[in-house]
Amino acid sequence: MVRSVLFLIAGAIISGFIVYYFFDVKTLFNSFEGFFLKFSIILVAFFTFIVIFRYISFIFFSILKTYQKTITFSHNDMFYNPKVTIIVPAYNEEVTIATSIKSLVKQTYNNLEIIIMDDGSKDNTYKISKKFEGNFNGKTIRVLTKKNGGKSRALNFAIERSSGELVMCVDADSKLEVDAVELMVRYFKDSEISAVAGSVFVSNRVNMLTKLQALEYIEGLNMVRNAQAFLKLVNIIPGPIGMFRKSAIKEIGGYAHDTFAEDCDLTLKLIEKNHKIDFEPDAVAHTEAPDELLDLLKQRYRWTRGILQAIQKHSHNLWNFKNFNFSFVLWYMLFEAIFWPFIDLFASILLIYLSFSQSVNSMLIYWWLLFTIVDISGALYCILITNETKSLAFYAFFYRLYFISVINISKIFATIEEWFNIEMSWGKLERKGI
Amino acid sequence: MNFIAFLSFAVLVVIILTLIFGMGAYFLYKVREKQRRKGSDIITYEELREESGRKFLFFDEVKYGNK
Repeated sequence: MVRSVLFLIAGAIISGFIVYYFFDVKTLFNSFEGFFLKFSIILVAFFTFIVIFRYISFIFFSILKTYQKTITFSHNDMFYNPKVTIIVPAYNEEVTIATSIKSLVKQTYNNLEIIIMDDGSKDNTYKISKKFEGNFNGKTIRVLTKKNGGKSRALNFAIERSSGELVMCVDADSKLEVDAVELMVRYFKDSEISAVAGSVFVSNRVNMLTKLQALEYIEGLNMVRNAQAFLKLVNIIPGPIGMFRKSAIKEIGGYAHDTFAEDCDLTLKLIEKNHKIDFEPDAVAHTEAPDELLDLLKQRYRWTRGILQAIQKHSHNLWNFKNFNFSFVLWYMLFEAIFWPFIDLFASILLIYLSFSQSVNSMLIYWWLLFTIVDISGALYCILITNETKSLAFYAFFYRLYFISVINISKIFATIEEWFNIEMSWGKLERKGI
Repeated sequence: MNFIAFLSFAVLVVIILTLIFGMGAYFLYKVREKQRRKGSDIITYEELREESGRKFLFFDEVKYGNK
């Protein structure tokens, strides 16, 4: 009840601002001469409308998905017990690997094989992992090693050697909640489901940057995925927690080596072949987020270029409306990765220009307030459905003020560099094992 | 004082500062990556030995014993 009321209030406030904003845009539009200015204002207004519409749609579909989930599973699902292989690709993960293995052994699901896939680490990852090899509580732990060749090759190597009907890929630096596997497995009883994504939460909330990322993860990632799952079209299965039907991975030829976002590429290949992908919000992985700005920029730069590479690979399907779902997903990803960051920057520059040339205009505060209120409403909704710390909603204020703009600048540069095909290296973020 | 005008001005200042900060941070990141790459060009004796597959790089192994 409280949630519904809050949601309605937020909706009312947003609607009010949308009306006021567009009224103001209309006044502003009429007061300007010149094609470029008029066109710019229409462009910004159009994209603002799309962003608001996107937000409201996501919240709406997310509510529907949450409702759908409560009526989907029955008591009989508890007897569905296929073998699951958890694969942990690890390269130089000596700091985190032991904690990761310990969290996997505690899983409540018993028909489990755990493969630690050492990708030619130069540190003690293999040595530490080897100590855990054997049987624990009915779960088998195997440690494999190979010459360093990248995450995608390591995953394919382990998938080929796995004995499970279902395969779960987990990052070495993430820690799973004990019931994560059990919660995800039940989706595969439906033979049409080929993959299930889980929720990712930030574990190291040590400063404002990591708290902002925590908010971003629950809002941007988990709310978005929940909504996408209503349509069975989750577009990225996150590295920290994703489960697949092995036959589906084999059908699409496994992970590709030619992009920096192998998770995204694999998911796109599944959608291309009309496989259905679901999302289990209660299957949680805790991951360490970058706690320094430059590390965060590095991560987002790589994500953006990786996503663009994956889209580029499938770009021939952008206009293929016969496979409407896939085309829609590709356009959505293009919007998120390229269009919106560019328009956001363009809008900021336009507003600065208007403020200096026409004196500071009230449109500026309404434009900013509109997004901040949308962010706060989205954050409140997500915090309520995920039972997260309520104080996180406070950070929604800074989210729009500082975080999004800085991230968007990094995305824009990454897009430009990808366009000009400037060389990049994968690199690796240093983990602290918090 | 017009409160809306004041807030608009405050947001304007924040937008300008954030853009400058974002650009600066991005270039700092690029400089750091460049320096790190330079640093990683340095190869250790052990890595070189492993790459060549030889026991020693600057010496030949001599075996003593029956001819």
